[in-house]
Amino acid sequence: MKPLNYAILKFFTTTEKASTVEVMDTLRPEYGDFKAFTKGAILDALLTAEANGLLESVGSEMSSTNELLLYFQAHKEGADTINRYITD
Amino acid sequence: MEQSKLLNDDLSIITAESAEQKLRSNFRAKGISTALFSGLSYGFYTAFMTLAMSMGIWTVWYGEGSGLSAFATTFLLAAIGAALTDSCSAIWALGIAAVRGRLGDFFRSIRTKPGAIMVASAIIGGPLASTAYVVGLQMAGSIVVPISALCPAIGAILARVIFKQELSPRMMLGIMICFGASVLIGGSAGLADGDTSIVMLGIGFGFIAALFWGIEGCVAGYGTSMIDPEIGITIRQVTSGLTNLLILIPLFAYIGGEDGYRMVFQAVADSESFIFFIVAGLAAYGAFMFWYKGNAMCGAALGMACNGTFSFWGPLCCWLVLGIAFGLAGWTMAPVAWVAAVIMVFGIFVIAMNPMDLFKKGNNQ
Repeated sequence: MKPLNYAILKFFTTTEKASTVEVMDTLRPEYGDFKAFTKGAILDALLTAEANGLLESVGSEMSSTNELLLYFQAHKEGADTINRYITD
Repeated sequence: MEQSKLLNDDLSIITAESAEQKLRSNFRAKGISTALFSGLSYGFYTAFMTLAMSMGIWTVWYGEGSGLSAFATTFLLAAIGAALTDSCSAIWALGIAAVRGRLGDFFRSIRTKPGAIMVASAIIGGPLASTAYVVGLQMAGSIVVPISALCPAIGAILARVIFKQELSPRMMLGIMICFGASVLIGGSAGLADGDTSIVMLGIGFGFIAALFWGIEGCVAGYGTSMIDPEIGITIRQVTSGLTNLLILIPLFAYIGGEDGYRMVFQAVADSESFIFFIVAGLAAYGAFMFWYKGNAMCGAALGMACNGTFSFWGPLCCWLVLGIAFGLAGWTMAPVAWVAAVIMVFGIFVIAMNPMDLFKKGNNQ
């Protein structure tokens, strides 16, 4: 089992783009009972990864519940860096 | 009908855009306040560690006729003080990680590549930089304080070269303004008396400390983009505490001809001073955790410049805690420090944003 932050970043190397909703849906079975498994903490992790060039923003939209959804993707260099530091 | 749909689409685009803009602006403000708070925590960490080392058994060790060699008084006592603070901080970090459900991830992270990088940067920035800093202070005097404040500039340059982070001439100008403010605070005491070559060597140690802290800030800041900052700081404090206790203290005790561990046990048993090491440990936890987190959120250049305000917070907290709360003599706040604080705020402002943008925004509105 990987640390939660590693699993979040690694998820982006397997998907084209995702928001916190997709990240949480995918990781919930394994990490759902973690105290750090909250939307706010995951969004902070994604924005921090973006600030450090691991991920990039690819748009946003309002959900049906009027919540902002920010979409991120791991560009080639970011995905390479993630895979270099975080191995399976 | 079609027009109404288009209007709704437009409204939803505007709402998403403005909500995103607000969220990003909040994230940046949170990053800056986190990094500034690290500087304030660093001030309290310095104040409470200094307070602890001026009470109880420490007054005996630093007093006349303690029987300790000059080397032991200079280096061993500093290493014991740092080791106790870092060890208390490590216990705080482990406890907080346990309460917040992050202990499992701590053990999982430490065995990975980013974990190993955090351990290496903790050794570089913990015992190695701190020792270089203390040795520099002993050899060259307080001129070493502003020299060590070069670490944001070094961290920003390293982050540009290694991690391709943004570093524009404007940001470098802002860093230099902050450095100038640190010189104003620390440079007034000047050079130590004595052999010029020893003073120059001391200044060299000050540069080494700045280089090592620059490396730590840039590498560990980047590391916390992968590792949760609370886990990162737990790795840092556990590594630093253990390295100080298991390597530095035995080494300095051997050179100084003292029984280092006996002195550590005496210091822990001295409740009058130890309570303040516990408080200093909590402040150190905040200082480094917010430093790493702030650097990760805003980039090394802005994050380290905000943290660099410890040049102001340090004397301020020492004045408040040691001078006012505990009435110890010699802890007043020089008026120049307030001037320097204003200059630092301006420097951080220059790094964070282009002042011309304010005028552009005004025109647009």
